[in-house]
Amino acid sequence: MVERLTAGRAVARPSARRAARPAPSGPAPLLLRGLGVLAQRVALLAALLVAVFAAMEFLPGDAARASLGRGASAEAVAARSAELGLDQPLWIRFLRWMAGLPAGDLGVTSRGEPVAEVLGRHFPNTLLLGGLAFAVTVAAALALAGAAALRPSSALDRAISGTSTIVAALPEFVVASVLVLVLALWADLLPAVTVTAAGGGGPASAAMLVLPVLSLAVPQIGWNTRIVRAALADECTAPHVEAAVLDGLPPRRVLLRHVLPGALPAIAAGAATSVGMLLGGAVVVETIFNYPGVGSVLAGAVRDRDTPLVAGVVVATSVAVLAVLLAADLVRGWASVRRS
Amino acid sequence: MRTVLRLVPAGLIAAIALVGPLLAPHAIDAPVAAPYALPGPGVPLGADELGRDVLSRLLAGGRDLLLTSLAVACAVTVAAAALGTAAALRPALGRLVERLADLMILLPAVLAVLLVVLSWRGGGRVALVTAAVVVSLPYAVRMVAGAAAPIAGSGYVEAAAAGGERLPQLIWREVLPNLRATLLVLLGLRFVAAVYVVTTAAFLEVGPEPPAADWALMVRENAPGILLNPWAVVVPSLAIGVLALSVQAAAEVLAPRPGRRAVTRL
Repeated sequence: MVERLTAGRAVARPSARRAARPAPSGPAPLLLRGLGVLAQRVALLAALLVAVFAAMEFLPGDAARASLGRGASAEAVAARSAELGLDQPLWIRFLRWMAGLPAGDLGVTSRGEPVAEVLGRHFPNTLLLGGLAFAVTVAAALALAGAAALRPSSALDRAISGTSTIVAALPEFVVASVLVLVLALWADLLPAVTVTAAGGGGPASAAMLVLPVLSLAVPQIGWNTRIVRAALADECTAPHVEAAVLDGLPPRRVLLRHVLPGALPAIAAGAATSVGMLLGGAVVVETIFNYPGVGSVLAGAVRDRDTPLVAGVVVATSVAVLAVLLAADLVRGWASVRRS
Repeated sequence: MRTVLRLVPAGLIAAIALVGPLLAPHAIDAPVAAPYALPGPGVPLGADELGRDVLSRLLAGGRDLLLTSLAVACAVTVAAAALGTAAALRPALGRLVERLADLMILLPAVLAVLLVVLSWRGGGRVALVTAAVVVSLPYAVRMVAGAAAPIAGSGYVEAAAAGGERLPQLIWREVLPNLRATLLVLLGLRFVAAVYVVTTAAFLEVGPEPPAADWALMVRENAPGILLNPWAVVVPSLAIGVLALSVQAAAEVLAPRPGRRAVTRL
């Protein structure tokens, strides 16, 4: 959680740098800069994959043995190694894997199944879970921080600010077990585990999503409420907001029309840094609720030393994080162009 | 006075976690009741999946968690103090740290910890601490570097550098003494983050091994029986929650005005 705190600040830093520079003269420089940011982020992704491949290489045991079971003979293991390409040097395997990436080929798991297929089956479920949690997080954080900002220093403001700080520190599984106790066992309102639908794929009913989504979202709501509240407080000191207040506009209108647009870049940057936490937390939450997502796949893949599958999960989650970071960049760019 | 009051919960739970193992009424690994028995005489919180006393395991299960988290927090703070100050004094190092921190945004911390701990055979608690430190270091360094930058650029540090002081001396004697407040806040925040990482790792079964009593492991082990004896799951959860909350509250109180601003402002 503290990462996001400092990360948020760093994400906010380019906008400060941008403000110091002369405003872009037209859409072309903006586009160029956008492409530059994209290229930098993709380079980061490649560096991350190198790191993951290297880490997997240090894992004890190997995929050939793990996929054959305990009693396999030395010849069978060697044959399986050759079949999986494990006898090749690491860098050749890595380059080969990277070459297939643009075509959507993520390699084959140690059990012989295409990684892309495994991800295709499970990742949409995780995206659904994470996406819903993200939406709930943003909506709740905006509403809570907005309510607090309308009455600064009131009891409500102090209650919201204090609670959000504290909730942000809770691990997801702590939230989950308390929610299960209260909402599933005592109140008997919601199912405590996810049952996969008969046709495969997602959870059998929408009610089964409520507890996993809440478990993921609650700590993030705490975190983002804090960011939004701070961004709103910051923006409240701007001259145009003061002018709007002196003009006698109703507080709600000042908040929505004059404070919120200015605070949007900081809010977007903060929300974007929550995405990594949501996807990381999904590993835990999916385990608790037996949810058929990529988190459970990851746990199994690490146990099996299945490098391509772990790398595939990393690619999928990183691309999702990248997409949201880029969206946050766009929001920031749009907001700064609009203001200048 | 209010400051002291808000430090009390953190002190209290730390004390309970540290002395807890001595207070446990039963052995942590011997069955004393039926599996998932409800609270009754002699077992105030009931029994767990193997019929072991939940209260005894609860009392025993906090110390290692607390000490591991503390070790992570201290290691990160000390390393970040040295590296962050160096990064503020040497821009090339600063840029490297920025890139590393950018990289970590793409990789969820839980996944990074899983990778490191699993790839280090027999690493045990050392591997976990190392992974947690590695995961959080780039951000912590960036935070210190941000706080150290104005000091590094000030005249007296330049004068000291011109006077022939070398990098370690500059860090140790000139810059760090001015960052005490920031470092104290960093320590508190890193402790909260470490509790998150250490408990989540234990929950995902890459930390303490059964039959060790560990709050996070207790949650994981007893989750299937939550319908039978909810206390075996909920009480260790609450213990972790209270620990995280009280340390978070303490970190906020310790933050001096400017530091607190740097933190809430992001």
